[in-house]
Amino acid sequence: MYQEELKEYLRFSRWPTMWCPGCGLGIMQRVIAEAMKESNLDHTNTTIISGIGCTGRTAGYFNFDSIHGLHGRAVCLAEGVKAVRPDLNVVVVSGDGDIFGIGGNHLLHSSRRNANLKVIVNVNDIYGLTGGQMSPCTPKGVKTVTSPQGSPYDPFNAQGLITSNAHYFYARSSVWHQPHLKKCIKEMMSWHGFALLEVRDYCIENNGRRLGFKNPHEMLMQIKETYKIKSDLQPGQQLAQNELGIMTR
Amino acid sequence: MDTRFLQGNEAVALAALQAGIQFYAGYPITPATEIMELLAEEPARNPRFAYLHFEDEIASINAIVGASLAGAKAMTATSGPGFSLMQEGIGLAHMTRAPIVIVDVQRVGPSTGMPTLPSQGDVMQARYGSHGDFYPIAFSPNSVEEAYAQTIISFNAAEESLSPVVLLMDGYIGHLYEAIDLDAVNIPPVPRSRPPFGQGRRHFTGLLSRDDVPDTKDSAYYREWYAGYKKEIQIVADKYALFETVPNDKSNTIIISYGITSRIVRELGDAYAYFRPIRIWPSLDREIIEACQGHKKVVVIEMNDGQYGGEIERILKRESVSIPVIGGDLSLSQIVATMREKKVYKA
Ligand SMILES: Cc1ncc(C[n+]2csc(CCOP(=O)(O)OP(=O)(O)O)c2C)c(N)n1
Ligand SMILES: [Mg+2]
Repeated sequence: MYQEELKEYLRFSRWPTMWCPGCGLGIMQRVIAEAMKESNLDHTNTTIISGIGCTGRTAGYFNFDSIHGLHGRAVCLAEGVKAVRPDLNVVVVSGDGDIFGIGGNHLLHSSRRNANLKVIVNVNDIYGLTGGQMSPCTPKGVKTVTSPQGSPYDPFNAQGLITSNAHYFYARSSVWHQPHLKKCIKEMMSWHGFALLEVRDYCIENNGRRLGFKNPHEMLMQIKETYKIKSDLQPGQQLAQNELGIMTR
Repeated sequence: MDTRFLQGNEAVALAALQAGIQFYAGYPITPATEIMELLAEEPARNPRFAYLHFEDEIASINAIVGASLAGAKAMTATSGPGFSLMQEGIGLAHMTRAPIVIVDVQRVGPSTGMPTLPSQGDVMQARYGSHGDFYPIAFSPNSVEEAYAQTIISFNAAEESLSPVVLLMDGYIGHLYEAIDLDAVNIPPVPRSRPPFGQGRRHFTGLLSRDDVPDTKDSAYYREWYAGYKKEIQIVADKYALFETVPNDKSNTIIISYGITSRIVRELGDAYAYFRPIRIWPSLDREIIEACQGHKKVVVIEMNDGQYGGEIERILKRESVSIPVIGGDLSLSQIVATMREKKVYKA
């Protein structure tokens, strides 16, 4: 059913994807495709750019012209595409390690330059593809294979970075809150300028099981219970850590 | 006649425009900065040319790969430290077959080294700098006119081979002023070969892929892919088998040098035969073997500690004499002193 509806958007010939059963990336990808369809974005006017990681495979699953570049370099590569093809919607989809960790400097500067890119970051709190190492979003105290005593650091504050710019679109949603996620994507696609969306996700196989979760459903339920949609944001107000919403200036 | 008094770096920028550059991305570094500064003025004149001053060389190389895959002719220019940062991106361009031009105006390394002094220390980095096996094309000009011509050739070769091409300048040529007649360099630009983005359903990936789909476990397929890729680049490289040779039957010694060093070396006079590779990668094996036939001694003079000399020995399968000119001090007296020491100088 959804395959028929989204066949112009997703490259179903490549199914099954390389993602583990129960992974939230499939949800995120479908919602992106649906939001694009509803926003009249398609292969004639849109390109998808990804970096490296589980999320990085997204570009190749879209049935568009797309690029799967280097780890951490999706944003700057996309800025090159946009510079020579301002007529195209250039959408970046990549992981938290990719965009916030190794690629953090590019995020800092592309957002400051207000490059007209739409950057969707999958925040699964972990380096999924490489087996569950600590990412910039791993919460303080959480044990991973590279932080066996628990991460000693506060996680990265993307909202703080993005909203330090003169103009910004910053949104946070999750793979559980799908209607909200779709709304965020549609709004970011119509924003003129740099837009960043954090999509709260989980990683069952390379993180969750080690933390005691038995299945993806348990992790989804935790996201459902943790995050609340904040719709009456006042100008200048920030989202609390457990809030989802859209902030623009 | 369109005679201009130009600096090497200026010639590169002008040639890039002549070749049809549509995008420049870069980060300033001595002694390459003038290329960027000149092209920074271009968007105001030409709305079809895009220019971005990035936060670093990593961003610059990735941006030109993106722009290239999206259909534009693109270039960046840098020097040693930036060239080091670009290596992963150069590999991506090889894997995705992105035609781009990278200008490396070499300075003395390692590390920050001697920023204002020239060198040829990145010759092997241009060949092997990125990880894995790849097969790059690179040119080494020895004058401002050649810098101009070979910039256009680099764009053309990149387009034809669908691969990144390196123009190996050095701080000397980059800053040298010479009068050149632009009209005398008549190299028509090759048009963009790949259809523009945003109409198709193509997927470019740094993974080994088959028909746009990653295929990363099939060793036999890798070998087949690599052979095809290498052959395609060799065919284009063969079109640009550029070199200069000064035969001398009476001399038992041939001197091999390239870039600015070759011009100083020619002051050594008629007692030697000379060979100068211009297309420095892939190496001109056949031409080098031919040139060295009948010469007992092969002397390689270069502004590094014998990098290309090692290649020459590999090609000839015999010993050569290396005259390293290191530390940025490119002087005939220094060269003569080392040649005397190594007993290859003919007074
Ligand atoms: C330069 C470089 N360093 C390291 C790696 C190995 N690597 C591949 S993916 C990855 C982390 C991916 O994490 P994230 O971006 O969060 O994506 P996820 O898999 O979680 O979706 C790393 C470290 C690489 N490919 N390139
Ligand atoms: Mg991750």
